[in-house]
Amino acid sequence: MASKQYSGVRESHPGRVNDLGTTGREVKENYEKGCLKRADRTFAQGLQCQQINSMAALMSLEDSVFISHSPQGCVGCAIMAVDMYRVGQAHRGIKNIKNPRIIVTNIDQKSVVFGGENKLREAVKKAVDRYNPKIAFIYASCASGIIGDDIDAIAADLGYEYPDTLMVPIHCEGFKSKICASGFDAAFIAINKYILKKEKVPKEDDLVNLFAPTTVSYADQKEMERMLSLIGARVNYIPFYSSLDKIKKIPAAKASTSICKVFADEFMKTLWEDYGIPYSHTVMPIGIRNTDIWYRGIAKVLGKEAEVEEIIKKEHERIEPLVQKLRERLSGKRVFICGGTGRSFAAAALIDDFGMELVGLETPTYDEDAQVDIEYLNGIHKDFVVDIANMQPFEQVNLIKRLQPDAFIGVPEWAAKLGIPTTHVLDGKRPTMGYDGLLFLGNKIADQLQNPGFNKKLAEHVRLPYKDSWYEEDPFKYITR
Amino acid sequence: MSQIMENPKGGCVLAGINAVLGAIDRVCPVYHSGPGCCMQTTAADQGQSGHKNSCFVSSVSIPSSNMLEKEVVFGGTDKLRSTIKGAIDIIDADAYFVLTGCTAGIIGDDIVSVTEEFTQEGYKVYPIETPGFAGDSNLGYEIIWNTLIDKVIKKDVQKDDRLVNIFGIVPYHDPFWSGTLEEIERILTQLGLRVNTFFTKHQGIKDIENCSAAALNIIINPWLFKGPAKRFEDKFGVKSIRVPGLFVGATDTTAFVRQVSDALDLDRELTESVIKKEEDYVYSYLAQAIGVVSWKRYAVVADASNAVGITRYLANDFSFTPVLVIISEPIFRPEDKKRIINEISRLEYARPPKVIFATDQYEINEAIRNEEEEITLLIGSSNEREVALEKDIQFILGAFPVNERLIFNRTYAGYRGSLTFTEDLYDNL
Repeated sequence: MASKQYSGVRESHPGRVNDLGTTGREVKENYEKGCLKRADRTFAQGLQCQQINSMAALMSLEDSVFISHSPQGCVGCAIMAVDMYRVGQAHRGIKNIKNPRIIVTNIDQKSVVFGGENKLREAVKKAVDRYNPKIAFIYASCASGIIGDDIDAIAADLGYEYPDTLMVPIHCEGFKSKICASGFDAAFIAINKYILKKEKVPKEDDLVNLFAPTTVSYADQKEMERMLSLIGARVNYIPFYSSLDKIKKIPAAKASTSICKVFADEFMKTLWEDYGIPYSHTVMPIGIRNTDIWYRGIAKVLGKEAEVEEIIKKEHERIEPLVQKLRERLSGKRVFICGGTGRSFAAAALIDDFGMELVGLETPTYDEDAQVDIEYLNGIHKDFVVDIANMQPFEQVNLIKRLQPDAFIGVPEWAAKLGIPTTHVLDGKRPTMGYDGLLFLGNKIADQLQNPGFNKKLAEHVRLPYKDSWYEEDPFKYITR
Repeated sequence: MSQIMENPKGGCVLAGINAVLGAIDRVCPVYHSGPGCCMQTTAADQGQSGHKNSCFVSSVSIPSSNMLEKEVVFGGTDKLRSTIKGAIDIIDADAYFVLTGCTAGIIGDDIVSVTEEFTQEGYKVYPIETPGFAGDSNLGYEIIWNTLIDKVIKKDVQKDDRLVNIFGIVPYHDPFWSGTLEEIERILTQLGLRVNTFFTKHQGIKDIENCSAAALNIIINPWLFKGPAKRFEDKFGVKSIRVPGLFVGATDTTAFVRQVSDALDLDRELTESVIKKEEDYVYSYLAQAIGVVSWKRYAVVADASNAVGITRYLANDFSFTPVLVIISEPIFRPEDKKRIINEISRLEYARPPKVIFATDQYEINEAIRNEEEEITLLIGSSNEREVALEKDIQFILGAFPVNERLIFNRTYAGYRGSLTFTEDLYDNL
């Protein structure tokens, strides 16, 4: 049964909120009572827009060109995906490392007045003449959206002109959503609409779609593939380092799962509705508990419950003595965590593996998935602060100064300047996930906690930009209802 | 006027403005824009310039009105007002600059009136009404200086005949900017000058306010800053000299020193003694590694200023053979193109290389691929590594964007920088 067509805007999901200052206990109760309301901040710092995610998600597709119908500035963040693509090639043993083909139409004053259609047409012509790509992704922008360029109609028309290239317009206008993960959804909606088109393909019995964002390292890909192969699955790794052929294989799969909670979650629902592919949507496989949950989730869909328990038992036997050693080093340490929706909750579960205590959690959105995680965290930790925020470093530093955690997990820039030992669970170039990734992470956290000299000395020399008075204020002062 | 571009180098006009503001101590940009512009514009320049970001506020630390559909439809001035208010309340900045993204620019929000509410209360809040789609990072550099000239720099400041202002080196859009400015200051200080670099040694809004005291504006760039230089002279009476390209190595750096000395009529003897000492420093090292770096036929892909400096050093001072120079930033005025070609072609002994103006990555790659003469060394940005690998030639990462190394105070400019550059040329192949 097909549900109502999903718009791609994550705020449209019932009960999902973005801006809130609360605690683990309070948010759980208020969510149950239906008391969480969509709020806003009267003062905020910059966000990540959804267009960044739409571009990053696809930028490593090998036979594609990426056309940004925007001014030049809107491809600034593409560098993060470009870098991952280049490093990813090096990790995969490729010698002649390539750039992704990004073409910006460079909407200018003239386009704002007269429309940017001609620029888009010319950019696509260049893409086809130069690379004869199998796919041309066409990304909308705030500017193209507001001036009203109809990229769908232009793309359809260009499709007739260049029949060998699939034109895939993506509606990732930045102003449409505050949640950057909406951009992932916009990309998958376009893939389904323009590439898969609800066409049925022959099933491949052992094939499993594994959806992974750009930020997953090659080491993690190999670990996930290793784990899935142990339960008899062959992986269709999508869309990172993928191709049109692999995208077209998506409907052939027996099941789907994702590495990140907010990546392809809506798309996997669509794959169930449109192609009857069952899926597992659980957690990010970081830490023992979450890796177990993730692994059991996909095993259940594949009917390998018994097999997976055998493997998990063996993995635990192998890993637990090593985790015990890490626990001895980390137990009782108080932690503040800030991250994306998937990673923040995964990190919160991870620290329990090491016996650490959660004192604060910053995560971009709250919804029924978050409620499940919070219920679990409430069960093991004393009450902890919850800041529903996409970064907002000004709130973060205020909270950290109050809570004085022993360690900070997340983007280190601001906590480091307060002298707090910092570490990160987002590393697109090194291991993070699965049973092996856990040890790498644990050692990293333990070593950085043991040797915090850099941050301590840094804090003696640099100041954050905030007034002293700000640290005396309510950190959630600017959140309104 | 903006061109369709494959793998563009740098960002929109906002990115250029943000790069400058990020390099001035304790100033805070406030974005009236869509939700991603802070991050995008920071990533476009600061994020691709050897991995150093403004320490004060950058990227997701920058206050932003994060305009969504509601603001697009109903206008976003209320959101802007509360964003500026919050920025003033919590961020300990000496000045605030309100920037307009495409969204605010297209719907036509009146940011000037909103900022005036705060200036009337005595806060230093300055509006810059230039939306992102107006141009690129280089234009941003000129726009912010125009704003500073019009609204920030004071008029009746006591003149200081030993003070000079340095322009033309765009912070973060040039990965070596801080090292280069430090080298320039090191050299000029020896001539008895005080130097406003504006972006090093914690120079801030006060230094900018008082920079009309300078005896001379020194523009180190073959084309940038033409408009602002005139505006500066018209308003404050400070003359400019243009050094038509970054100086790398003894020959061009000495020419620069003499040019400044002549313009300010400094003591000849002192000038020549500084030159002698500095050249001796360089050649004492070069003399210790003769024949160590093998001879190369080279191509350069860079912004005009760095392309001039690198090409001239390798040809004039190091006896390498120039083959091809690609200017990879948009240059629009014919007289600027002529000046750039002239600087690259006016070599002491070497045969002038071919000069091409191309900003599009495909065109750049094609020019290198199709070059008939052999190339054995390519100096370029991270974007050119691909074609260097493809052609299997030595590659030096020496131009924006730089993604594969961390750069603090390294520079290839001046006397000392040329030694660093020469160290990097060594390949042992």
